[in-house]
Amino acid sequence: MKLTTFAQNLHDLNLLKDQGIDEVILGHCDFSRFGKLKTEQYFELAKRAKELGLKVIFEWDILMTEAVFSKASQDIIPFLDSLDSLRIQDPGALEWGLRSTSKPLQFIAENGNHNIEALQGWIEHGQGRLERIVLSIELPKNKIEEYCNILDIPCEILGLGRILLFYTPRSLLGSLIDEKFTSNEEISAIGESEESPHKGFPIIENRHGTFMFHIKDFCLIDFAKELEAFGLGYLRVDFRWSEISLLKNVIQIVKNGSGSFDSFKELYPQELMRGFYLVNKTDVLFPKLKNHRLQNRDADYIGEVIEAEKSSHLAILVKNPQGLKKTDKLRIVHPKGNIFEAEIFSLRNLGLDEVEFIPSESVGLIQFVGGVWVKSHVFYQN
Amino acid sequence: MSHHFPEILAPAGSLDKLKVAVLYGANAVYVGGQKFGLRTAADNFTLEELKEGLAFAHERGVQVYVVLNSFLHDKDISELPEFISFLESIKVDAVIVSDLGVVKTVSKLSKIPIHISTQASTLNVEAAKLWKSMGATRIVVGREVSIKEAGKIKREANIEIEMFIHGSMCMAYSGHCVISNFTQGRDSNRGGCAHSCRFEYSLDMGLDTEEKKKAYFMSSKDLEGLRVLPEFINEGIDSLKIEGRMKSHLYAGTMSKVYSEALAYYREHGNFLSEDLIHWESELSKVSHRAYTQASLIEKAGEESIFNERENSSDSEWQMVGKVLEANPKSGIVIEVRNAFNQGDLIEILPFKGPAISILANEITDIMLRPVQRTKPSTLIKLPFVKGVEAFHLVRQKVKA
Repeated sequence: MKLTTFAQNLHDLNLLKDQGIDEVILGHCDFSRFGKLKTEQYFELAKRAKELGLKVIFEWDILMTEAVFSKASQDIIPFLDSLDSLRIQDPGALEWGLRSTSKPLQFIAENGNHNIEALQGWIEHGQGRLERIVLSIELPKNKIEEYCNILDIPCEILGLGRILLFYTPRSLLGSLIDEKFTSNEEISAIGESEESPHKGFPIIENRHGTFMFHIKDFCLIDFAKELEAFGLGYLRVDFRWSEISLLKNVIQIVKNGSGSFDSFKELYPQELMRGFYLVNKTDVLFPKLKNHRLQNRDADYIGEVIEAEKSSHLAILVKNPQGLKKTDKLRIVHPKGNIFEAEIFSLRNLGLDEVEFIPSESVGLIQFVGGVWVKSHVFYQN
Repeated sequence: MSHHFPEILAPAGSLDKLKVAVLYGANAVYVGGQKFGLRTAADNFTLEELKEGLAFAHERGVQVYVVLNSFLHDKDISELPEFISFLESIKVDAVIVSDLGVVKTVSKLSKIPIHISTQASTLNVEAAKLWKSMGATRIVVGREVSIKEAGKIKREANIEIEMFIHGSMCMAYSGHCVISNFTQGRDSNRGGCAHSCRFEYSLDMGLDTEEKKKAYFMSSKDLEGLRVLPEFINEGIDSLKIEGRMKSHLYAGTMSKVYSEALAYYREHGNFLSEDLIHWESELSKVSHRAYTQASLIEKAGEESIFNERENSSDSEWQMVGKVLEANPKSGIVIEVRNAFNQGDLIEILPFKGPAISILANEITDIMLRPVQRTKPSTLIKLPFVKGVEAFHLVRQKVKA
């Protein structure tokens, strides 16, 4: 397993070389969400990286509407000779990369792609041109292991760095400051909400839009040995908002195990979290989002009680195409779960006529059944 | 120049809402089953309801698309084949998908047309070509795409294009927000969005002052594209989508009615009269909504597209007071009451076509024919019969001057 990281200046490049890293991700300000390199700086770094024997990975991870894409796909051409691999996230950039260049491609599949069919699908679509796939940090470790074993190209995952929560192309901070904001500047803020228990979300606005990050940084470096055993190809460490001098500490932990991890945490400027690495249970709350007692509307479902008047009647809006017959025996489920069984002694339509049958989409009135209330569901009793 | 007219695609969060949307003029509806969609808290459809809803819609020439637009995990994918077989057996018109794993699974197991959800944030021609090569027949483009860009995507990728014309908007690129996942343990891309973008935030912007800016800075205004309907038509957009499977019957009905009437008018006359636009906009405003914006339909959404206010549904001037269950000279008009109104109040019944019918509710009785002074929610009341009123008509009332 190799480490990969970003460089923002010559000093960073030299540090990477000194620490035995053999590739570097370069972010140009026009193509990379958080890239700050201007063209001249980029070429200077790309040249120096090559001299140092570092593989140059050009990051093109912005999402692009057609107008932006048309321009970017022209503007990127002068950079192609300088790079060894193109790293993309927008599916349009992937398609363009496959058709318009012969460069190796690294596909960032961090957004969704939580199933093997999707990941294999991207790789198949890459027709042998994808040299790496970047996995989502929402994957638990058993899935990382499984995917590293099944997929036939190397996988990469974030090992240390900010967690991006939100990405919009709209300018959300610029309107809040009084001074004139030019699109080439970056604005930053720290946000908190009384409606969230988390305080201190870093927020950035730059030429590509507005981005919000988690209050804690993501960290798996203490699991590096395990990830290596899983067959992970690359662990990405991102010091763009911290201190790249900590790279040597990271390398120590990755090489020698997590023994020095506690002291690293002391040095690292942000609190750290491992996210869903041990388990992802982000769907367990779903059953509580609605009343599941009222979700079973199967073939026996007749309809819903829409009026209940004590000692008088229940009005049932019949939904079942078979309608409601006076001879039907009923099972009624209260929203709180209580179940009542009832026979029909009186069945009337809305004209208050005694009838034998109420068709679908009509209302039938039966005698009141104690305990039953509005929104109760009515079923045929089998 | 002959025009290709788009369909009006309405949300249907339940079987009842599907019927409302269809009866009020939608050309197509989109619905969710009990799993695999992004509206976990909506009623959604059981298998029986999907069958019935499809039959109801197809009898009236209306298409039904089923959302499978969650980003699924392996265990979810393993449950998918059975549902896909069912959907194919009942002949759904398309599925709406955002995850490549789902695209591949649907393609492998069925011939159901695949629409790529806006959740996949397809924003450019090349991305559309990619999805087409994977079997997609339609792209629901990201809400950041302008109508002109969408027209170009359609022409150059040679694929059907669907665009949102109305409703709430994610501020983030759809599918690219995981605030709920990491702060509330609810996967926003599997239906658990906690709407953290609607919260008020205190922002420390590093200014000289100690004061923090307070703002609902991530909350978008609602999309409203009525006035640019001709642009959608000129660019050949195939489907105009109304957001809102979680929204009310009144919303589903009003949106379906207004947009289908506006489209029909334009089809007949080739233009809009300003008085008609004012009327339709007035109708749209009678449903609870945030301030409207055209967002990025014409040019990139700017500052004016940020709502920056607290959510407050009680701000609406109008509310739905009920739904007509039955209307005939013998029984009169039977209304299922959703919000209370008083004897003597002016209420409006919204017919499937044409102007609202105003009724002064002077004679209200309960279904046992006892006089009622003030109606109560979750009860049935009767009004004297009025010609033109039918079952499923929605009843609304102005509640604020």
